[in-house]
Amino acid sequence: MGVFLDLVVSTVTQGLIYALLSYGVFITYKILDFPDLTVDGSFPLGAAVTAVLLTKGFNPYLTLAVALLVGALTGLITGLIHVKLGVRDLLAGIITMTALFSINLQIAGSNLIIERTVNTIFSAEPAMALFGNLSLIYRKLIVSLFLTILFKIILDLYFKTKSGLLLRAVGDNNTLVTSLAKDKGKVKIIGLVISNALVALSGCIVCHEQRAFSSTMGTGQVVFGLATVIIGTTLFKKLNFVKGTTAVMIGSILYKVSIQIAISLGLPANLLKFITAALFLAILVLGKLQKGGVKKNA
Amino acid sequence: MKKHIFTILILIITLAVIAGCGSKQIPVIGISQFGEHPSLDNCREGFLQGLAEAGLKEDKDFSTDYQNAGFDPAIASQIAQNFSSANVTLMCAIATPSATACFAAAEDKDIPVVFTAITDPVRAKLDSGNITGTSDKLAVDEQLELIRKLQPDAKTIGILYTTSEPNSVSAIEEYNEKAANYGFTIEAIGVVQQSEVTLAVDTLISKKVDCLSNLTDNNVVGVLASVLEKTNEAKIPVYGSEVEQMKIGCVAGAGIDYIKLGKQTGAIAAKILKGEAKASEIPYEVISEYSIYINSAALAKMGISVPLEVSQKAIEATNS
Repeated sequence: MGVFLDLVVSTVTQGLIYALLSYGVFITYKILDFPDLTVDGSFPLGAAVTAVLLTKGFNPYLTLAVALLVGALTGLITGLIHVKLGVRDLLAGIITMTALFSINLQIAGSNLIIERTVNTIFSAEPAMALFGNLSLIYRKLIVSLFLTILFKIILDLYFKTKSGLLLRAVGDNNTLVTSLAKDKGKVKIIGLVISNALVALSGCIVCHEQRAFSSTMGTGQVVFGLATVIIGTTLFKKLNFVKGTTAVMIGSILYKVSIQIAISLGLPANLLKFITAALFLAILVLGKLQKGGVKKNA
Repeated sequence: MKKHIFTILILIITLAVIAGCGSKQIPVIGISQFGEHPSLDNCREGFLQGLAEAGLKEDKDFSTDYQNAGFDPAIASQIAQNFSSANVTLMCAIATPSATACFAAAEDKDIPVVFTAITDPVRAKLDSGNITGTSDKLAVDEQLELIRKLQPDAKTIGILYTTSEPNSVSAIEEYNEKAANYGFTIEAIGVVQQSEVTLAVDTLISKKVDCLSNLTDNNVVGVLASVLEKTNEAKIPVYGSEVEQMKIGCVAGAGIDYIKLGKQTGAIAAKILKGEAKASEIPYEVISEYSIYINSAALAKMGISVPLEVSQKAIEATNS
């Protein structure tokens, strides 16, 4: 059972770390209705910056703040391209993402690996002082859980503020925002800034966790984010007390669990993605059935 | 409603339990291969042969769990975690991204990692800790010498490489350093992704390079067939770095036999499994034997005649 528990712990940890990315995609795709492809670039950017800072001997916890900052900057750029230059949303994201590919390589030089002697957020103080007696995989779980829950709470609180409510209004009802004499462009930019800050933070933690940055690690992250948002929100559609952030967090964990099952089943490598797709479909169909059931009961 | 969600969760967990359990009596080797391509497949095959040669029988002395990441670093990392959670006895990592992922996942439990097909373990920072393996360092001198013998008048060698692959970057440095000794200049073009490789070939052709020489760059090797299509049309010979490349149509090359490299790796793993040495005590090994491979048909098409001193030593690379 110990073996199985370890597997669950490390898979859930992955899901939690990537949940930060899902929060980001949740804000742009679900709340703002803005398909933001910047993610494929801002995610590895967070990792690139982290890898460089860690090898230079920076405090590992400081990299979290730096990642948030550079991520926010990429969101700002996409936002400005879209709002001020009038470029379509999809294209604005593509432009930033493409530029970031080069920028990431420029920052990191090439793919980078962080040596074991360098402390990460999972092995530096105060994590060590608090949980030093636990094994590394449990420390990873606790630290990731802490960060994921912390940002979930911050986001949930933010959504209740005036700025947060405006954000939701832009996605739902554009004209309402204009009629309130608010600049919807500015609201969109704020949304993109917050979203990409979270995405880069996720990249940063992944870099801590895997002790590596690779230039291609961003590829497909938008798709991952969208899948987790859809899985999460579909599953919890009828449960009003479950917040969107919680739903996508669970979506992210389920996604990673699906892949882990596909790997654990020892399926042929070439079928891995197919099985993952089949598992998503199963989750989504179950979500639909569940909704149908509710209607019948009601 | 809530019940349904839990049903799904329980279903998933049950599946994982079934998958996760199994008899764990004999040592398990987790083999993580970054993707499927002939060189890496040869490494794995050689690895198993190496274990067999050391007297270890599969399913009796050890069992293997082979996983392939399909060139996706995120999957490579999940595979590595899967191995770590399953407490495998040893991880065998084929190609750099898989090795980094395995080494990171093995950190906590200090599971030994044996890697192969890594050109520069020092640059990849995989040279210390409970890790060892074999390096497929390119035979740059041998390759330059071979090109000089086959094309006595050639001046520039074109090379394509991926800027983010540490292996390729260090190989380019070595080429630049040594090319002058053989009277060559190097025209290297870096790409960031596979789709740019064929564009870069066009650029090299327009720069009128005398020939192309390959590294073991995954992106370039992956689209080698379409590279060769263009160079054949332009009558520019391409030299390979591994026997499989000559089979596809490269004219010749000083290359590594990846089966041999794999065997060497298997021998190291056998030592660790038998408890003769720890991975941290075994320095990584660089393959020292290179063979000259030629593809006579491709050479003839390019109008290159092979001098006797080359043909005597060369091995014909054919699909057999």
